[in-house]
Amino acid sequence: MLTEDHISYIIKDLNYRGIVAEGIQEELIDHICSAVETEMTSGVRFIDAYHKILKSFGHTSGLRETQKQTIQSENSKPRNMLKNYFTVAIRNLRKHSFYSFINVAGLSIGLAICMIIVLFVINEISYDKHFANADRIYRIKSEIKFGGNHYNMLYAPPVMANTLATEYPEVEAAIRFRERGSYLVKRTIDNIKEDHVIWTDKDFFKVFSIPVIAGNAETALAEPNAIAISETIAHKYFANENALGQTLILDNKWNMKITAIYKPIPANTHFHFDILIALEGLEEAKREVWYSNNFQTYLLLRPGADAKQLESKFPELVAKRAMPQLAEVLGGDLTMEKFNAAGNKMEFTLQPLSDIHLKSSLQGEFEPNFDIAYVYLFVAIALFILIIACINFMNLSTARSANRAKEVGIRKVMGSFRSHLMRQFLTESILLTFISILLAVLFAYLLLPFFNQLSLRTLFIPFQQPMLYGIIILVALAVGLLAGIYPAFFLSAFKPVSVLKGHVALGMKSGFIRSALVVFQFTVSIFLVIGTLAVNRQLNYIQNKKLGFNKDQVIVIEDAYALGTNRVPFKEEIMRSGKMENATMTGFLPVSGSWRSDNPWWVEGRDPAVQENMVSIQNWRVDHDYVKTMGMNIKEGRDFSREFPSDSSAVIINEASVKRFNFSGEVIGSKIATFGDSGNGEPDRNKLITLTVIGIVENFHFESLKENVSPLMIELNEKSEGPISFRFQSQNTQEVIQLVEAKWKELAPGQPFTYYFLDQRFGSMYASETRLGKIFGIFSVLAVLIACLGLFALTAFTAEQRMKEIGIRKVLGASISSIVMLLSKELGKLVLIAFVLATPLAWYGIDWWLKDYTYKTEIGVGLYIFAGAAAFLIAWVTMSFQSFKAASSDPVKSLRSE
Amino acid sequence: MHSPELLKGTLQTILLKVLKDHGKMYGYEITQRVKELSDGRILLTEGALYPSLHKLEAEGLLKTETVMMGKRVRKYYALTTEGKSLVKERVSEFVEFIRTMGNVLKVDLA
Repeated sequence: MLTEDHISYIIKDLNYRGIVAEGIQEELIDHICSAVETEMTSGVRFIDAYHKILKSFGHTSGLRETQKQTIQSENSKPRNMLKNYFTVAIRNLRKHSFYSFINVAGLSIGLAICMIIVLFVINEISYDKHFANADRIYRIKSEIKFGGNHYNMLYAPPVMANTLATEYPEVEAAIRFRERGSYLVKRTIDNIKEDHVIWTDKDFFKVFSIPVIAGNAETALAEPNAIAISETIAHKYFANENALGQTLILDNKWNMKITAIYKPIPANTHFHFDILIALEGLEEAKREVWYSNNFQTYLLLRPGADAKQLESKFPELVAKRAMPQLAEVLGGDLTMEKFNAAGNKMEFTLQPLSDIHLKSSLQGEFEPNFDIAYVYLFVAIALFILIIACINFMNLSTARSANRAKEVGIRKVMGSFRSHLMRQFLTESILLTFISILLAVLFAYLLLPFFNQLSLRTLFIPFQQPMLYGIIILVALAVGLLAGIYPAFFLSAFKPVSVLKGHVALGMKSGFIRSALVVFQFTVSIFLVIGTLAVNRQLNYIQNKKLGFNKDQVIVIEDAYALGTNRVPFKEEIMRSGKMENATMTGFLPVSGSWRSDNPWWVEGRDPAVQENMVSIQNWRVDHDYVKTMGMNIKEGRDFSREFPSDSSAVIINEASVKRFNFSGEVIGSKIATFGDSGNGEPDRNKLITLTVIGIVENFHFESLKENVSPLMIELNEKSEGPISFRFQSQNTQEVIQLVEAKWKELAPGQPFTYYFLDQRFGSMYASETRLGKIFGIFSVLAVLIACLGLFALTAFTAEQRMKEIGIRKVLGASISSIVMLLSKELGKLVLIAFVLATPLAWYGIDWWLKDYTYKTEIGVGLYIFAGAAAFLIAWVTMSFQSFKAASSDPVKSLRSE
Repeated sequence: MHSPELLKGTLQTILLKVLKDHGKMYGYEITQRVKELSDGRILLTEGALYPSLHKLEAEGLLKTETVMMGKRVRKYYALTTEGKSLVKERVSEFVEFIRTMGNVLKVDLA
């Protein structure tokens, strides 16, 4: 048997040989003891027996190998390993909760923005794709250049659709749309104003696969006076009844029979019509003319038909059909060659349905579309914000590496491989992104209603889709890797010897990459700030530009035709109240969305067959008080006056027209002419109308400032059915509204009272820009915020690192301000570099955006300096908070222990 | 003596079966028992035995019990319920393997 001494010897010896691991040490001792005992029973000496047994183990190396393999086999299960990474990660994050908070805050805001933008972009690119025949639907675009005017529009001649459908085999169906503004709709007594009303051909449901829930889709719109209504409208007017076959009265005069009810048109469609009126009932639609363009025309091609090929046949069609008609109207022997040679153009092209929402902004769009450039811009911003947030993570991890260097050293000494350490760091970053992404979903959920309001969309997070969760996990992994890979490489590369000896001094100075990343963050932030300021300055400029008319203090009463014969009494009774300065009755108002009409005119005496003499001019018909009510300026001559009965054949033209007409003599008193109407809407070459110029009105902007002021003339027409505009003096708009509304209710009972203020409508011409400006503003504020969060934490870290240095400096007499300076100097330099980089980029970006505007504001150096100073100031304040805290702390505290 | 290469895949099965037949045992005892059962033709090396035992323990198939013996501490291994239910399966799996090997190598094992 073994003695106590023998056992002690074995324990000591094994310990010396490195068998120390808990769990295996005791077991091996017992095993060896037992084996030695057995050996000794055959009379061998203890020491010989022991060595024999040791030999059977393979001596020291064999013993150690056994120990190592035993430990490994215990831990070989990946679950254990992951659990360990996880535990360490959680402990680490909790230990440095300040930095974890900064990281999570930045990342979750960044991710929430990304999520919202991704939802937005997905929605934008999904437009119109839901139609069954989406890839076969095309729309006709027309480009007309004639009489000094140039139109890029969606209006095609009324006969074009039918011609294409019957004569061209590629076309399966063709439909037209005709917009005639809003309608007053009633069942019995009270009118409701409906905005989304359109006239269309009977094949509407064949081209656009909108489900019809009642009625026959094929024949619904074949008869005159038939309408198809959306389910929403059906519910609105016939709450619990069957609407099919019932009658609705439009604009107080037309009885329309409901022949079909369709499902509401999906939100991601480029039109949202609630009421479709059969085009069959519109005389204008039956005209066989090629020179008037009023109908948006859509084609459904046959499967396999080539749109390009069809398009190439259009010039021939124009030459064969349109030119002879045009020649007849204008006189002379007009041919395609002559027409084109004179610098004119009449060209039709096809636009695929999928291009409409993102790539089209022409005259005649049903609704304002979006711009693909902005989609790219949004994606870029989302990515930038995400990268800024990731950079925070990278910078904080590497900056704090000095603190973790010892951990890395000790782990390595204990036998950690580099891959283990990398896995550990990656686990930390992925865990952090997981927490962030969950918070991000919450943020996005809370922010979406706000964003929807701003972007006029109805976005939502598709919680019921399993894909969402897959994507969330994928994104968390991807972002975790993106943010964690650099720190992981960086930290795990430390050499244990130098780290443990204290040779790795990683303060702020070491990180070139870190500095570069901070510069990048601030470059992007400053770029966004400058962009936002520029957009807002341009919008301000537009709103306050001298327009040539006075948009303030004018209320416009819409749908005045509903007053019927009470129109004039209405106007006069309100004028009598003394609250109003002037009133005018016309639909031709200087804001877009109002009536427009243009005709070719020429200076009397010149030959209308000569192209150069023709001036295509806006022809507005107004009353005597128009110029006064709108606050326009007569530059020469005089305004219309009731004292001159001859003014019924007088005209006032704007400065642009004076230029275009190129009068030979005195402008005032000159005469201009055009062909009269033959009665069916077609010009009559034998009937000349001449008007005498009595005044020149200063150019005023009547379309968006993106466009130049074009030639315009105003003539008298007292019989207008258009809206009534009042210029009021009172500052109390509420009082004005009440006055007008009371009178309206008295004179037009049962009719909806709708009005707008001219300046508001003017503002809405720039609504999309204003929205863009706001969204941009929010993004840039958030980008700056996230970047500053990072800066905040970095300064905190530097201050912490240099605590002792600060203490000593203070003891030696440094002032607080000099220490604050010292701490923020380095980061301040980086912000300055970022400003220098961001300026040219921003200049280029703004230039690109402004190129659309004819009238643009000066973006002076001041704006750049202001943006730079603002960014610098914000960064400075962020940094000095931490620096100041460090600088004002008592040196005794930081120096006492050592 | 059988080559350790051949033993590699069967070690766990041997350990489980031996522990099933003899109840709780300690490491050295197991080596001796296997040696005895195989007429000295199977010698378990410690370098293979202990990693296997610890692995089986980590997987929850074995439970341990330590007994103090003066300065020495003896660790006994025994099957858990889960381990017990697995033994039969492992053994029959191995028998099946031998049968297959017999077919592959074209020798009659009977």
